Amino acid sequence: MDLVIFAAGATLVLNSRTSQVVAAYVILTGLVSLIVAPSALATPLSQALFVLAFVLKLVAAPIGIWSFAFRNPAARDLHPAVSLPWRLIAVLVAAALAAGVVRAPEFMMMPMAGPAAYTALCGFAMLLIHRNLLAQLIGLLALGSGLTLGSAVLAPGLPEAIEFGAAFDALVVTFIGLALVRAFLAHNPLLDVESLRSLRG
Amino acid sequence: MIGFAVAAPLVSAFIVMLFRPLGVRRVARVVLTSLAAAVPLTLIGAVDRLSLIFAGLVSVLGLLTTIFSTGLFSIDWGVGEVLWARKSVYFLLLGTFWSAMLLVVLASNFGLLWFGISATTLATAFLVGFSGERTALEAAWKYLVLCSVGIGIALLGIVLLGRVSLAAGLDSSHALAWNAIIAQHGAVGAPLARLATAIMLVGFATKAGLVPMHAWLPDAHSKAPAPISGLLSGVLVSCSLYAIIRTSTVATALGVGDTFGTLVMWFGAASIAVAGALMLVQRDLKRLLAYSTVEHAGIVALALGFGGSLGTFAALLHVAAHAFSKSSAFFSAGLVQSERGTTELSALRGLWNSVGGRFLLGAMIALSGMPPFGLFVSEMLVVAAGVAAHQWVALAVGTVGIVMAFSALTRATIEIEGGLVRIGVRLSRLSIAAAAAALSGAVAVVAVPWIR
Repeated sequence: MDLVIFAAGATLVLNSRTSQVVAAYVILTGLVSLIVAPSALATPLSQALFVLAFVLKLVAAPIGIWSFAFRNPAARDLHPAVSLPWRLIAVLVAAALAAGVVRAPEFMMMPMAGPAAYTALCGFAMLLIHRNLLAQLIGLLALGSGLTLGSAVLAPGLPEAIEFGAAFDALVVTFIGLALVRAFLAHNPLLDVESLRSLRG
Repeated sequence: MIGFAVAAPLVSAFIVMLFRPLGVRRVARVVLTSLAAAVPLTLIGAVDRLSLIFAGLVSVLGLLTTIFSTGLFSIDWGVGEVLWARKSVYFLLLGTFWSAMLLVVLASNFGLLWFGISATTLATAFLVGFSGERTALEAAWKYLVLCSVGIGIALLGIVLLGRVSLAAGLDSSHALAWNAIIAQHGAVGAPLARLATAIMLVGFATKAGLVPMHAWLPDAHSKAPAPISGLLSGVLVSCSLYAIIRTSTVATALGVGDTFGTLVMWFGAASIAVAGALMLVQRDLKRLLAYSTVEHAGIVALALGFGGSLGTFAALLHVAAHAFSKSSAFFSAGLVQSERGTTELSALRGLWNSVGGRFLLGAMIALSGMPPFGLFVSEMLVVAAGVAAHQWVALAVGTVGIVMAFSALTRATIEIEGGLVRIGVRLSRLSIAAAAAALSGAVAVVAVPWIR
């Protein structure tokens, strides 16, 4: 499972094809949901919240992003801001930091702390590396998945708080993110982040 | 009753939609929101004083914003073709925003507090991008990305705090309640508690617009409709600072208050210095006011970092004084914008001749920290708290930032109120004298420990 998470996270950062990145995000978030599921299903409320978060993250968001890319050919490539070697370095740094987390004395007894940190770092790297609004949206969702997994690893005794946070975070990012992307299409068909630099200083 | 108080603004916004004739709807809006604003009065004795103070602040300014918006909605804010640029949606989002802020300040645990802060993002992202203009959408996007990262980090910190609480023997239903954590502070792991509160601080500081997580604030606060800018700057930032205050009390109870205080203090000092410097180069009135919010959030953080009863009192006084001053400044800026069609400082000369300009003059003088306004008193108390805490370097950095912010606000006031030459000259002289006095004070503050 660790290897699949590593590969999916690396695809998020390294790949530039929107459809492939969305597929990698679905695999990554699906695996995270699978890991979180046993603790998330502890109470009826946490079950309901888990299902809501699952639907938002793995159904609504990917379909929304795919539909934008489908209708807008210019958005089918995420136009990374840095070259492939630098993106590879970013993946390796994320993996090294995640490995470091597992070795920290506080987290030694938590084997999933590493994958959680790696997922969150890959999401964060997407925010920095890709210059496309859809990529930033996927990055935010991946970061949220990593933080959810991290929370579940750190405090398995608080499933309702964690699932509540995961569901609402996914709702905010998916709902506002897709609405803003839709509004941006009129001004910026490329959905390029470079055009979002008029407000500086 | 707390649930009712939280839901009242949102419910009133929905009920108002049932009234059809426009005139009746306006009257209904003012009456119902006035009632919603009065509901927190029923909570006296049911919640602690800190919550009550902030709930009062949220309600009064929420009501003023609604009334101001009702009166000014003839202005065509929604110039773009975005789905949500409709009057009814605006007031629903405003009601949601108001309710979410009440949830933040009336919650009894960090889980609900986090939900409230997160819910403000849901409402305000659309309000920031309400005009549908490209720059407003840009501001809304930055707001979404940076605040989502911030609140995600805050959630991780809260969960980590929950782990600390569970380890200390609290049950899961009380693991995030600050009163329970404070009462149970006996056996906790200090490193984990330190990490949890530090992560929470970074998350909440992002929403409060403290440097270096402030990048979204000047954009969002300057591009939102003027009444919303007032509420964002005056109240939302205050709610985020409230979250920091609650975290601070828990950190102190867990025995990691010193580390937390130092972090808050330096976030504050850096915010004042950076915002003060950037205020000097602003050419847009609303952007200048937005950077002033970063500066004032920094002053509150600095006071909290200095700690002690004086520092805490100064922080609370500053929050209240800033909330009213900044809201009135943004409301006046909205009037000015409707009169002149722009907020570019170079195009706003001779404002003294307009109603908005006169209000703006008063608000700008108050914001610059001149006597007899509340911000003058609170800033003096912050300095006194810094001296009492012997935090000379942070105090000096903060003082230099305050002087720069003062100069920027004074210069802008003179520029836009240009028709009033006499006041301009007086303000100019006063600003130079005050800047010199403050700089001398800063030098003295830095020099005292060395002389000793």
